[in-house]
Amino acid sequence: MKIPQDIAQTIVDPKAYSAQKPIDDAFKWLRKEMPLAVAEPEGCYPFWVVTKHDDILHVERQNELFHNGDRPTVLTNITGEKRVREIMGGSPHLVRSLVQMDNPDHGNYRRLTQPYFLPQNIKKLEGRIREIAKSFIDRMEDKGGTCDFARDVAFLYPLHVIMEILGVPEVDEPFMLRLTQELFGPADPDVNRTRKANMTEEEGLQAILATVADFVTYFNKMTKDRREHPRDDVASVIANGTIKGQPLGELEAMSYYIIVASAGHDTTSNTTAGALWALAENPSEYKKLKNNFAELMPGFIEESIRWVTPVKHFMRSATDDTTLRGTPIKKNDWLFLSYPSGNRDEDVFDDPFTFKVDRTPNKQIAFGYGAHVCLGQHLARMEMRILWEELLPRLESVELAGEPKRTEANFVCGPKSVPIRFRMH
Amino acid sequence: MSGKFRTWQCENCGFIYDEAQGLPDEGIAPGTRWEDIPDDFVCPTCGFEKAQFVMVEV
Repeated sequence: MKIPQDIAQTIVDPKAYSAQKPIDDAFKWLRKEMPLAVAEPEGCYPFWVVTKHDDILHVERQNELFHNGDRPTVLTNITGEKRVREIMGGSPHLVRSLVQMDNPDHGNYRRLTQPYFLPQNIKKLEGRIREIAKSFIDRMEDKGGTCDFARDVAFLYPLHVIMEILGVPEVDEPFMLRLTQELFGPADPDVNRTRKANMTEEEGLQAILATVADFVTYFNKMTKDRREHPRDDVASVIANGTIKGQPLGELEAMSYYIIVASAGHDTTSNTTAGALWALAENPSEYKKLKNNFAELMPGFIEESIRWVTPVKHFMRSATDDTTLRGTPIKKNDWLFLSYPSGNRDEDVFDDPFTFKVDRTPNKQIAFGYGAHVCLGQHLARMEMRILWEELLPRLESVELAGEPKRTEANFVCGPKSVPIRFRMH
Repeated sequence: MSGKFRTWQCENCGFIYDEAQGLPDEGIAPGTRWEDIPDDFVCPTCGFEKAQFVMVEV
Protein backbone atom coordinates (compact mmCIF):
# COMPACT_ATOMS: atom_id res chain seq x y z
CA MET A 1 0.00 0.00 0.00
CA LYS A 2 1.42 3.35 -1.02
CA ILE A 3 1.00 6.61 0.86
CA PRO A 4 -0.73 9.38 -1.15
CA GLN A 5 1.89 11.59 -2.76
CA ASP A 6 0.86 14.81 -1.00
CA ILE A 7 1.32 13.13 2.41
CA ALA A 8 4.61 11.54 1.32
CA GLN A 9 5.94 14.97 0.29
CA THR A 10 4.74 16.61 3.50
CA ILE A 11 6.48 14.22 5.90
CA VAL A 12 9.88 14.99 4.39
CA ASP A 13 9.35 18.72 3.85
CA PRO A 14 11.54 20.89 6.15
CA LYS A 15 8.98 23.71 5.93
CA ALA A 16 6.23 21.39 7.17
CA TYR A 17 8.30 20.66 10.31
CA SER A 18 8.75 24.39 10.83
CA ALA A 19 5.00 24.97 10.58
CA GLN A 20 4.29 21.75 12.56
CA LYS A 21 0.53 21.60 11.87
CA PRO A 22 0.99 19.96 8.44
CA ILE A 23 3.19 17.34 10.13
CA ASP A 24 0.72 16.76 12.96
CA ASP A 25 -2.14 16.43 10.45
CA ALA A 26 -0.20 14.14 8.10
CA PHE A 27 0.89 11.71 10.80
CA LYS A 28 -2.51 11.77 12.49
CA TRP A 29 -4.01 10.68 9.18
CA LEU A 30 -1.33 8.05 8.62
CA ARG A 31 -1.69 6.55 12.12
CA LYS A 32 -5.40 6.12 11.47
CA GLU A 33 -5.46 5.16 7.80
CA MET A 34 -2.00 3.81 6.93
CA PRO A 35 0.00 3.18 10.10
CA LEU A 36 2.67 1.30 8.17
CA ALA A 37 2.92 1.99 4.46
CA VAL A 38 5.40 2.92 1.76
CA ALA A 39 6.23 6.51 0.83
CA GLU A 40 8.13 7.52 -2.28
CA PRO A 41 8.69 11.28 -2.19
CA GLU A 42 10.05 12.81 -5.38
CA GLY A 43 13.70 11.91 -5.91
CA CYS A 44 13.82 9.36 -3.06
CA TYR A 45 14.01 5.61 -2.93
CA PRO A 46 10.81 4.17 -1.42
CA PHE A 47 10.72 3.58 2.33
CA TRP A 48 8.29 2.29 4.95
CA VAL A 49 6.90 5.00 7.22
CA VAL A 50 6.63 3.65 10.77
CA THR A 51 4.14 5.85 12.60
CA LYS A 52 3.00 3.83 15.63
CA HIS A 53 4.70 3.95 19.02
CA ASP A 54 4.70 0.14 19.41
CA ASP A 55 6.16 -0.42 15.95
CA ILE A 56 8.99 2.07 16.53
CA LEU A 57 9.89 0.26 19.76
CA HIS A 58 9.66 -3.10 17.97
CA VAL A 59 12.10 -1.99 15.27
CA GLU A 60 14.52 -0.24 17.62
CA ARG A 61 14.62 -3.18 20.04
CA GLN A 62 15.83 -5.52 17.29
CA ASN A 63 19.06 -3.86 16.33
CA GLU A 64 20.43 -6.95 14.58
CA LEU A 65 17.34 -7.31 12.38
CA PHE A 66 17.11 -3.59 11.64
CA HIS A 67 20.49 -2.00 10.95
CA ASN A 68 21.45 1.65 11.19
CA GLY A 69 24.44 1.69 8.88
CA ASP A 70 23.70 -0.39 5.79
CA ARG A 71 21.76 2.44 4.12
CA PRO A 72 21.66 6.17 4.97
CA THR A 73 20.72 6.64 8.64
CA VAL A 74 19.11 10.00 7.88
CA LEU A 75 16.72 10.41 4.95
CA THR A 76 18.76 11.27 1.85
CA ASN A 77 17.51 11.51 -1.70
CA ILE A 78 18.86 9.35 -4.52
CA THR A 79 21.20 12.00 -5.95
CA GLY A 80 22.54 12.94 -2.53
CA GLU A 81 23.19 9.32 -1.58
CA LYS A 82 24.96 8.69 -4.88
CA ARG A 83 27.25 11.71 -4.37
CA VAL A 84 28.05 10.73 -0.79
CA ARG A 85 28.92 7.20 -1.89
CA GLU A 86 31.25 8.66 -4.56
CA ILE A 87 32.97 10.88 -2.01
CA MET A 88 33.14 8.28 0.78
CA GLY A 89 34.39 5.29 -1.19
CA GLY A 90 31.04 3.53 -1.34
CA SER A 91 29.75 4.32 2.16
CA PRO A 92 26.37 6.11 2.34
CA HIS A 93 27.57 8.18 5.34
CA LEU A 94 29.62 11.39 5.46
CA VAL A 95 30.41 10.70 9.10
CA ARG A 96 30.53 7.45 11.05
CA SER A 97 29.36 8.09 14.60
CA LEU A 98 27.41 5.84 16.96
CA VAL A 99 24.19 6.45 15.06
CA GLN A 100 25.66 5.14 11.79
CA MET A 101 27.21 2.04 13.41
CA ASP A 102 25.97 -1.46 14.04
CA ASN A 103 27.53 -4.15 16.20
CA PRO A 104 30.22 -5.01 16.97
CA ASP A 105 31.53 -1.47 16.35
CA HIS A 106 28.50 0.22 17.92
CA GLY A 107 28.92 -1.53 21.27
CA ASN A 108 32.69 -1.05 21.30
CA TYR A 109 32.52 2.66 20.48
CA ARG A 110 29.57 3.33 22.81
CA ARG A 111 31.34 1.72 25.78
CA LEU A 112 34.23 4.12 25.31
CA THR A 113 32.32 7.17 26.58
CA GLN A 114 29.28 5.55 28.20
CA PRO A 115 30.74 5.68 31.76
CA TYR A 116 31.14 9.45 31.40
CA PHE A 117 27.41 9.91 30.74
CA LEU A 118 26.00 7.57 33.41
CA PRO A 119 23.87 9.16 36.16
CA GLN A 120 26.41 8.42 38.89
CA ASN A 121 29.10 10.29 36.96
CA ILE A 122 27.12 13.28 35.75
CA LYS A 123 25.83 13.75 39.31
CA LYS A 124 29.34 14.98 40.09
CA LEU A 125 28.79 17.80 37.58
CA GLU A 126 25.56 19.01 39.17
CA GLY A 127 27.15 21.85 41.18
CA ARG A 128 29.02 23.22 38.17
CA ILE A 129 25.99 22.92 35.88
CA ARG A 130 23.89 24.78 38.47
CA GLU A 131 26.43 27.63 38.44
CA ILE A 132 26.19 27.78 34.64
CA ALA A 133 22.38 27.74 34.74
CA LYS A 134 22.33 30.57 37.30
CA SER A 135 24.66 32.67 35.18
CA PHE A 136 22.36 32.37 32.16
CA ILE A 137 19.31 33.25 34.25
CA ASP A 138 21.16 36.30 35.61
CA ARG A 139 21.87 37.32 32.02
CA MET A 140 18.22 36.81 31.15
CA GLU A 141 17.20 39.02 34.08
CA ASP A 142 19.64 41.66 32.88
CA LYS A 143 17.73 41.82 29.59
CA GLY A 144 15.12 43.80 31.52
CA GLY A 145 11.88 41.98 30.85
CA THR A 146 12.08 40.90 27.22
CA CYS A 147 14.34 38.44 25.46
CA ASP A 148 14.44 35.75 22.84
CA PHE A 149 14.51 32.76 25.14
CA ALA A 150 15.74 30.44 22.38
CA ARG A 151 18.67 32.60 21.33
CA ASP A 152 19.56 34.19 24.67
CA VAL A 153 19.23 31.17 26.98
CA ALA A 154 18.16 27.87 25.45
CA PHE A 155 20.79 27.69 22.69
CA LEU A 156 23.64 28.83 24.91
CA TYR A 157 23.22 27.01 28.22
CA PRO A 158 23.38 23.35 27.00
CA LEU A 159 26.09 24.44 24.54
CA HIS A 160 28.25 25.74 27.39
CA VAL A 161 27.67 22.59 29.47
CA ILE A 162 28.59 20.11 26.73
CA MET A 163 31.57 22.15 25.58
CA GLU A 164 32.98 22.10 29.12
CA ILE A 165 32.45 18.32 29.20
CA LEU A 166 34.02 17.87 25.78
CA GLY A 167 36.85 20.30 26.52
CA VAL A 168 36.17 23.07 23.98
CA PRO A 169 37.13 26.53 25.28
CA GLU A 170 34.36 29.09 25.77
CA VAL A 171 35.77 31.36 23.09
CA ASP A 172 35.00 28.68 20.47
CA GLU A 173 31.40 28.10 21.53
CA PRO A 174 29.86 30.49 18.95
CA PHE A 175 31.80 28.63 16.23
CA MET A 176 30.51 25.25 17.48
CA LEU A 177 26.95 26.61 17.63
CA ARG A 178 27.17 27.90 14.07
CA LEU A 179 28.52 24.59 12.73
CA THR A 180 25.81 22.66 14.59
CA GLN A 181 23.07 24.84 13.15
CA GLU A 182 24.55 24.49 9.67
CA LEU A 183 24.65 20.72 10.06
CA PHE A 184 21.09 20.33 11.32
CA GLY A 185 19.43 23.16 9.41
CA PRO A 186 20.74 22.84 5.83
CA ALA A 187 17.41 23.91 4.32
CA ASP A 188 16.84 26.89 6.61
CA PRO A 189 18.16 30.19 5.20
CA ASP A 190 18.41 31.64 8.72
CA VAL A 191 20.99 29.09 9.82
CA ASN A 192 22.47 27.22 6.84
CA ARG A 193 25.99 27.89 5.63
CA THR A 194 25.13 29.90 2.54
CA ARG A 195 22.05 31.67 3.99
CA LYS A 196 20.30 30.86 0.73
CA ALA A 197 16.68 29.70 0.64
CA ASN A 198 16.79 27.49 -2.40
CA MET A 199 20.17 25.90 -2.79
CA THR A 200 20.68 23.37 -5.56
CA GLU A 201 21.36 19.83 -4.38
CA GLU A 202 25.05 20.20 -5.18
CA GLU A 203 25.27 23.54 -3.32
CA GLY A 204 23.60 21.90 -0.33
CA LEU A 205 26.04 19.01 -0.38
CA GLN A 206 29.03 21.33 -0.72
CA ALA A 207 27.77 23.39 2.21
CA ILE A 208 27.49 20.31 4.44
CA LEU A 209 30.93 19.11 3.30
CA ALA A 210 32.41 22.48 4.21
CA THR A 211 30.77 22.34 7.65
CA VAL A 212 32.09 18.84 8.30
CA ALA A 213 35.54 19.96 7.09
CA ASP A 214 35.50 22.82 9.63
CA PHE A 215 34.66 20.40 12.40
CA VAL A 216 37.41 18.00 11.28
CA THR A 217 40.06 20.74 11.11
CA TYR A 218 39.12 21.91 14.60
CA PHE A 219 39.05 18.46 16.17
CA ASN A 220 42.24 17.30 14.49
CA LYS A 221 44.03 20.06 16.39
CA MET A 222 42.25 18.98 19.55
CA THR A 223 43.31 15.35 19.09
CA LYS A 224 46.93 16.41 18.75
CA ASP A 225 46.68 18.55 21.87
CA ARG A 226 44.98 15.88 24.01
CA ARG A 227 47.46 13.21 22.96
CA GLU A 228 50.26 15.47 24.17
CA HIS A 229 48.40 16.90 27.17
CA PRO A 230 45.52 14.62 28.26
CA ARG A 231 42.93 16.16 30.58
CA ASP A 232 39.80 15.06 32.41
CA ASP A 233 37.49 15.69 29.45
CA VAL A 234 35.69 13.68 26.78
CA ALA A 235 38.07 14.95 24.05
CA SER A 236 40.91 13.19 25.89
CA VAL A 237 38.84 9.98 26.02
CA ILE A 238 38.29 10.13 22.25
CA ALA A 239 41.85 11.18 21.42
CA ASN A 240 43.51 8.54 23.59
CA GLY A 241 40.86 5.83 23.65
CA THR A 242 41.54 2.40 22.22
CA ILE A 243 39.31 -0.37 20.96
CA LYS A 244 40.85 -3.81 21.17
CA GLY A 245 44.21 -2.16 21.70
CA GLN A 246 44.01 0.09 18.64
CA PRO A 247 43.33 3.85 18.51
CA LEU A 248 39.96 4.89 17.08
CA GLY A 249 39.76 5.10 13.30
CA GLU A 250 40.26 8.65 12.03
CA LEU A 251 36.76 8.96 10.55
CA GLU A 252 35.23 7.40 13.65
CA ALA A 253 37.15 9.68 16.03
CA MET A 254 36.18 12.82 14.09
CA SER A 255 32.59 11.63 13.94
CA TYR A 256 32.60 11.00 17.70
CA TYR A 257 33.69 14.59 18.37
CA ILE A 258 31.10 15.90 15.92
CA ILE A 259 28.16 14.03 17.43
CA VAL A 260 29.06 15.15 20.96
CA ALA A 261 29.64 18.73 19.81
CA SER A 262 26.35 18.93 17.88
CA ALA A 263 23.71 16.49 19.13
CA GLY A 264 25.10 17.00 22.64
CA HIS A 265 23.43 20.41 22.94
CA ASP A 266 21.05 21.12 20.05
CA THR A 267 18.39 18.62 21.15
CA THR A 268 18.39 19.89 24.75
CA SER A 269 18.27 23.48 23.48
CA ASN A 270 15.28 22.71 21.29
CA THR A 271 13.45 21.00 24.12
CA THR A 272 14.16 23.78 26.61
CA ALA A 273 13.01 26.50 24.20
CA GLY A 274 9.93 24.49 23.25
CA ALA A 275 9.04 23.93 26.90
CA LEU A 276 9.08 27.63 27.70
CA TRP A 277 7.06 28.34 24.57
CA ALA A 278 4.47 25.78 25.74
CA LEU A 279 4.36 27.27 29.25
CA ALA A 280 3.96 30.80 27.90
CA GLU A 281 1.04 29.62 25.75
CA ASN A 282 -0.58 27.67 28.58
CA PRO A 283 -0.85 29.93 31.65
CA SER A 284 -2.81 27.35 33.65
CA GLU A 285 -0.10 24.72 33.10
CA TYR A 286 2.56 27.28 34.00
CA LYS A 287 0.72 28.12 37.22
CA LYS A 288 0.27 24.45 38.07
CA LEU A 289 3.97 23.82 37.57
CA LYS A 290 5.14 26.92 39.39
CA ASN A 291 3.01 26.11 42.44
CA ASN A 292 4.36 22.58 42.75
CA PHE A 293 7.50 22.37 40.69
CA ALA A 294 9.47 20.06 42.99
CA GLU A 295 6.89 17.31 42.67
CA LEU A 296 5.97 17.90 39.03
CA MET A 297 9.50 18.39 37.71
CA PRO A 298 10.30 14.85 36.45
CA GLY A 299 6.96 14.62 34.63
CA PHE A 300 7.26 18.13 33.23
CA ILE A 301 10.65 17.28 31.76
CA GLU A 302 9.32 14.10 30.11
CA GLU A 303 6.37 16.07 28.72
CA SER A 304 8.72 18.76 27.37
CA ILE A 305 10.74 16.08 25.60
CA ARG A 306 7.58 14.46 24.19
CA TRP A 307 6.16 17.82 23.17
CA VAL A 308 9.19 18.97 21.20
CA THR A 309 10.63 15.61 20.07
CA PRO A 310 13.67 17.31 18.52
CA VAL A 311 14.87 14.27 16.55
CA LYS A 312 12.26 13.88 13.83
CA HIS A 313 13.37 10.58 12.35
CA PHE A 314 16.04 7.95 11.94
CA MET A 315 16.19 5.37 9.17
CA ARG A 316 16.74 1.64 9.56
CA SER A 317 17.10 -1.14 6.99
CA ALA A 318 16.03 -4.76 7.37
CA THR A 319 18.83 -7.32 7.40
CA ASP A 320 16.41 -10.16 6.60
CA ASP A 321 12.84 -10.78 5.48
CA THR A 322 10.48 -10.18 8.40
CA THR A 323 7.03 -8.86 9.28
CA LEU A 324 5.94 -5.71 11.07
CA ARG A 325 2.31 -5.11 12.05
CA GLY A 326 1.57 -8.26 10.06
CA THR A 327 3.04 -6.71 6.93
CA PRO A 328 5.92 -8.42 5.10
CA ILE A 329 9.14 -6.39 5.11
CA LYS A 330 11.82 -7.53 2.68
CA LYS A 331 15.52 -7.74 3.35
CA ASN A 332 17.19 -4.35 2.64
CA ASP A 333 13.85 -2.45 2.84
CA TRP A 334 14.32 1.03 4.28
CA LEU A 335 12.25 2.24 7.25
CA PHE A 336 11.57 5.80 8.41
CA LEU A 337 10.95 5.87 12.18
CA SER A 338 8.87 8.96 12.98
CA TYR A 339 9.42 9.96 16.61
CA PRO A 340 6.96 12.90 16.52
CA SER A 341 4.31 10.49 15.31
CA GLY A 342 5.11 7.90 17.99
CA ASN A 343 4.93 10.66 20.59
CA ARG A 344 1.44 11.70 19.43
CA ASP A 345 0.11 8.13 19.14
CA GLU A 346 -3.49 8.19 20.37
CA ASP A 347 -3.21 4.54 21.50
CA VAL A 348 -0.48 5.48 23.97
CA PHE A 349 -1.12 9.11 24.95
CA ASP A 350 -4.45 10.53 26.09
CA ASP A 351 -5.16 13.85 24.42
CA PRO A 352 -1.74 13.76 22.70
CA PHE A 353 -1.91 17.25 21.20
CA THR A 354 -2.25 18.88 24.62
CA PHE A 355 0.74 19.92 26.73
CA LYS A 356 0.22 18.62 30.27
CA VAL A 357 2.91 19.24 32.89
CA ASP A 358 1.46 16.43 35.01
CA ARG A 359 1.00 13.85 32.23
CA THR A 360 1.32 10.33 33.58
CA PRO A 361 2.22 7.81 32.42
CA ASN A 362 4.44 9.30 29.76
CA LYS A 363 6.29 6.74 27.69
CA GLN A 364 7.79 9.27 25.30
CA ILE A 365 10.26 7.82 22.79
CA ALA A 366 12.17 10.93 21.76
CA PHE A 367 15.47 9.44 22.97
CA GLY A 368 14.94 6.33 20.88
CA TYR A 369 14.95 2.83 22.33
CA GLY A 370 17.12 -0.28 22.34
CA ALA A 371 20.87 -0.35 21.85
CA HIS A 372 20.89 3.08 20.18
CA VAL A 373 18.96 4.92 22.89
CA CYS A 374 20.45 8.40 23.39
CA LEU A 375 23.78 8.28 25.21
CA GLY A 376 23.27 11.76 26.66
CA GLN A 377 19.70 11.32 27.92
CA HIS A 378 20.61 11.50 31.63
CA LEU A 379 22.69 14.62 31.09
CA ALA A 380 19.90 16.23 29.06
CA ARG A 381 17.33 15.57 31.79
CA MET A 382 19.67 16.85 34.50
CA GLU A 383 20.46 20.05 32.57
CA MET A 384 16.79 20.78 32.07
CA ARG A 385 15.90 19.99 35.70
CA ILE A 386 18.59 22.31 37.02
CA LEU A 387 17.62 25.17 34.70
CA TRP A 388 13.96 24.98 35.70
CA GLU A 389 14.80 24.57 39.40
CA GLU A 390 16.73 27.82 39.18
CA LEU A 391 14.42 29.72 36.84
CA LEU A 392 10.92 28.91 38.07
CA PRO A 393 11.29 30.31 41.61
CA ARG A 394 12.60 33.58 40.12
CA LEU A 395 10.14 33.87 37.25
CA GLU A 396 6.99 35.72 38.29
CA SER A 397 5.31 35.76 34.88
CA VAL A 398 6.02 34.93 31.26
CA GLU A 399 4.14 35.47 28.02
CA LEU A 400 4.95 35.43 24.34
CA ALA A 401 6.09 38.79 22.96
CA GLY A 402 5.94 37.83 19.31
CA GLU A 403 5.52 34.81 17.10
CA PRO A 404 7.95 31.97 17.86
CA LYS A 405 9.57 30.23 14.90
CA ARG A 406 10.91 26.74 14.33
CA THR A 407 13.90 25.77 12.19
CA GLU A 408 13.09 24.39 8.74
CA ALA A 409 14.53 20.89 8.95
CA ASN A 410 13.32 17.31 8.73
CA PHE A 411 15.97 15.59 10.84
CA VAL A 412 16.73 17.54 14.05
CA CYS A 413 14.88 20.75 14.76
CA GLY A 414 12.90 22.83 17.20
CA PRO A 415 12.31 26.48 18.00
CA LYS A 416 14.83 28.95 16.61
CA SER A 417 13.16 32.00 18.13
CA VAL A 418 10.91 32.32 21.20
CA PRO A 419 10.39 36.02 21.98
CA ILE A 420 9.05 36.48 25.50
CA ARG A 421 8.04 39.18 27.94
CA PHE A 422 8.72 38.26 31.55
CA ARG A 423 8.91 39.52 35.11
CA MET A 424 11.29 38.24 37.75
CA HIS A 425 10.48 38.23 41.47
CA MET B 1 13.34 -9.74 52.99
CA SER B 2 14.81 -7.04 55.18
CA GLY B 3 17.89 -4.89 54.76
CA LYS B 4 18.89 -1.80 52.91
CA PHE B 5 17.25 -1.06 49.58
CA ARG B 6 19.56 -1.47 46.61
CA THR B 7 19.85 0.06 43.16
CA TRP B 8 20.23 -1.77 39.86
CA GLN B 9 21.38 -0.26 36.59
CA CYS B 10 20.74 -1.12 32.95
CA GLU B 11 24.10 -1.78 31.32
CA ASN B 12 22.88 -0.42 27.99
CA CYS B 13 21.36 2.93 28.85
CA GLY B 14 22.21 3.61 32.49
CA PHE B 15 18.61 3.59 33.74
CA ILE B 16 18.53 3.01 37.49
CA TYR B 17 15.96 0.88 39.30
CA ASP B 18 15.76 1.95 42.94
CA GLU B 19 14.05 -0.67 45.11
CA ALA B 20 12.89 2.01 47.54
CA GLN B 21 11.02 3.91 44.84
CA GLY B 22 9.85 1.02 42.68
CA LEU B 23 8.34 1.90 39.30
CA PRO B 24 4.72 2.83 39.96
CA ASP B 25 4.13 3.68 36.27
CA GLU B 26 5.14 0.12 35.39
CA GLY B 27 3.00 -1.39 38.16
CA ILE B 28 5.96 -2.05 40.47
CA ALA B 29 5.25 -0.77 43.98
CA PRO B 30 7.81 1.15 46.07
CA GLY B 31 9.82 -1.30 48.16
CA THR B 32 9.76 -4.09 45.55
CA ARG B 33 12.98 -6.06 45.70
CA TRP B 34 14.85 -6.76 42.48
CA GLU B 35 14.42 -10.53 42.88
CA ASP B 36 10.64 -10.07 43.15
CA ILE B 37 10.43 -8.37 39.75
CA PRO B 38 9.29 -10.80 37.02
CA ASP B 39 11.98 -12.23 34.75
CA ASP B 40 10.26 -10.77 31.69
CA PHE B 41 10.83 -7.22 32.99
CA VAL B 42 12.55 -4.97 30.47
CA CYS B 43 14.27 -1.64 31.00
CA PRO B 44 11.59 1.05 30.60
CA THR B 45 13.87 3.39 28.69
CA CYS B 46 15.65 1.03 26.29
CA GLY B 47 13.95 -2.38 26.43
CA PHE B 48 17.01 -4.39 27.52
CA GLU B 49 16.24 -7.47 29.61
CA LYS B 50 16.38 -7.85 33.39
CA ALA B 51 19.51 -10.01 33.08
CA GLN B 52 21.34 -6.99 31.68
CA PHE B 53 20.99 -4.99 34.88
CA VAL B 54 23.80 -4.89 37.43
CA MET B 55 23.72 -3.82 41.06
CA VAL B 56 25.32 -0.40 41.58
CA GLU B 57 25.93 2.07 44.38
CA VAL B 58 24.65 5.54 43.53
